[in-house]
Amino acid sequence: MRLLQNSASKSAMLLTLPTIISACQEAKKNQLTASAFQTLSSTEAMELDAVAERILPATDSPGAREAGVVYFFDNVLKDRIDALDILRIGLHDLQKNTGSEFNSPFFHPLSSLDQDQLLKSIEDTEFFATARYLTIAGMFALPEYGGNRNLVGDQLVGFDGRLGWTTPFGYYDADYMEKGE
Amino acid sequence: MSELAEPSTQAFKTREQVDFVIIGSGAAGGILAKELAEAGHSVVILEQGPHLKAADFRHDEWGYKHNFDLTWSARRGNVQTFRKTSDEEAEPREAVLRYAHNVGGSSVHFSGNFWRLRPIDFMEASVKGTIAGTNFSDWPIRYEDLEPYYTKVDWEIGVSGLQGPWDPFRSRDYPCPPMPIKGSDVLLERAAKKLGLNPYPAPVAILSKPHNGRPGCINCGWCNGFGCEVDAKSSSMVAMIPFALATGNCELRTWATVSRINTDSSGRANEVVYFDADGVEQAQKTKAVVLSANGAETPRLLLMSESNLFPRGLANSSGVVGQNLMFNGYSSVAGLFEEPVKAWKSIPATRVVHDFYELDSELGFYGGGGIDGRHPSAGTPIEFALGASDSFGGPSWGADFKDSLASRFSHSAAFDGHTTSLPLPTNNVTLDPTHRDNFGRPAIRCTYMDHPDDLATMEWFMNKSVELMEAVGAKNISASYPSGGQTGNVHLLGTCRMGDDPDTSVINPNHRAHDVPNLFLCDGSSLVTSSRGQPTMTIMALAFRAADLINQAARRSEI
Repeated sequence: MRLLQNSASKSAMLLTLPTIISACQEAKKNQLTASAFQTLSSTEAMELDAVAERILPATDSPGAREAGVVYFFDNVLKDRIDALDILRIGLHDLQKNTGSEFNSPFFHPLSSLDQDQLLKSIEDTEFFATARYLTIAGMFALPEYGGNRNLVGDQLVGFDGRLGWTTPFGYYDADYMEKGE
Repeated sequence: MSELAEPSTQAFKTREQVDFVIIGSGAAGGILAKELAEAGHSVVILEQGPHLKAADFRHDEWGYKHNFDLTWSARRGNVQTFRKTSDEEAEPREAVLRYAHNVGGSSVHFSGNFWRLRPIDFMEASVKGTIAGTNFSDWPIRYEDLEPYYTKVDWEIGVSGLQGPWDPFRSRDYPCPPMPIKGSDVLLERAAKKLGLNPYPAPVAILSKPHNGRPGCINCGWCNGFGCEVDAKSSSMVAMIPFALATGNCELRTWATVSRINTDSSGRANEVVYFDADGVEQAQKTKAVVLSANGAETPRLLLMSESNLFPRGLANSSGVVGQNLMFNGYSSVAGLFEEPVKAWKSIPATRVVHDFYELDSELGFYGGGGIDGRHPSAGTPIEFALGASDSFGGPSWGADFKDSLASRFSHSAAFDGHTTSLPLPTNNVTLDPTHRDNFGRPAIRCTYMDHPDDLATMEWFMNKSVELMEAVGAKNISASYPSGGQTGNVHLLGTCRMGDDPDTSVINPNHRAHDVPNLFLCDGSSLVTSSRGQPTMTIMALAFRAADLINQAARRSEI
């Protein structure tokens, strides 16, 4: 496992931009495959995928969607019934708002601008806190839990999970050694 | 990776009376098992969790920190309840009294910070005066009594460090030199020197070079909350248990959850009742019992072992079993720096400032502690991302949030305070009257509210860390301490304290229960005062000392 993790991490760093883009498209395509979900319905998955995507959107680097965070949701929610209930009730409430404000039964087809506006209005809810928690967790947890595909979360924060490091670890200890403090 | 031999061939029958049953294989239990077995005694260790090895441990933040794979938790059937004061109804809560659930106990997943107590810790109440409303008192032993055993821990368990300016006397040097300094501690050292303080290398139970057949640390950064993947962290799992088993006198029973210690008609412990791995109740006959289940489980088990002879719980004629729970206080101060610190690599802390071990009494409150330099989230990305906007400001979701994470994770450092807690009768472990765990045992009910002096101490250390951050040019400083009182901790201290007086303590200075002659208690519960926040070194030294005294008593046929 350790070796696999290291080689995965090394190869991920060698990915070129076109490779990332095509991997992203592949990931997005996969996400629409209903049969891939064990806990969520395909509609729930599409909705939560859209929420997660706004929490950690793709910018010049991949976001929650490309990381496959919705698969992390699906995986960990199977034995977190309380969190699943919160998300289901919250989605229901969210869809009431999409209906009344944007005349859409669903959240995921809305423009990102409209999605952000809706999420902004529910920032203080348990639903949003739970979705944010699981989005962040899915972005950075080991890929075997379903998210952090191609270690895009690790790369986002500049983390590298290799087994060992030698000195210097960063700028300040290098500087300390150089100055002979 | 370890080449330590581990023949676990011994198997005793439960009806066969062994010399010692040791309950718990953690920091203390692992040491007692090795020392008693090496002296030729037959020993059965009952450990409620599995026997994991280095190869089982991974860089798995979700599994360990959020799924509680290593710790005993409500998610795994071990519900606990919490309240601040006894007039409140205690509510079930996750992560109150936190401890590992595996061979080696919390010595497997602790940070490795390993400060000795100093002479003052053992006699602080007589030097500074007692404090009204608290059970602040001297220890019945002195630093000199424990020093040979601290040194035994240094060499047998494996400690890296360098004697500091105010460190107490040591009879032998550290076996391993200090770990290399990391960026967060360069910042702490520079700040401290600007303020005229004396930072020095932090003593740690992590090997900086090969020692006793184990390899040196390779700086992966996954210590705090995780098991070491190369056996460089000096847990009792790697440093003691293999040697205990190699004697051929010791049997380790994993997934053995103890529910009761029975006594005979004369009030001597004679049997330990437990659920085995299949959930079947067993009872092991024994000549004596060593209880090293930690500061939460040890008092619970004594309280659960009430009988006609011991109506308030076993060894509890004083009524103080479970009382005087001490967590240690803390403060967290994080800052952002111009250049990449990369504090997520290497061990948690490589420098410590101990100039404030004892705060000036003119401040008007009791307290003291130390400050070390770390990564703000112990190097873990999930926890960092969850807290980054609270700590450093800015949006908590969206594109700008995501971009902020990219630089903040590597550019941050924290100066954390680790502080004293006073022993209070009202801070305690009791049996919850309604909630039960998955074995049907009464849940641990924790009642805890930090003493005003403890809160004042945490605030003082927080402010000092802010001063240090400012001195070294941190750009964006975030400071906090649990001002409303702590609601849980990993340090579980003082709940079966040692003392000369059977009316105010549970064990005598030799770790023998005042009320039960063949029952010995040794773990965090034995501490009389709280330490300055890194108690495991002292728990291990006490265990070597207790084992020595038990072996001496056994030779005199005085068990």
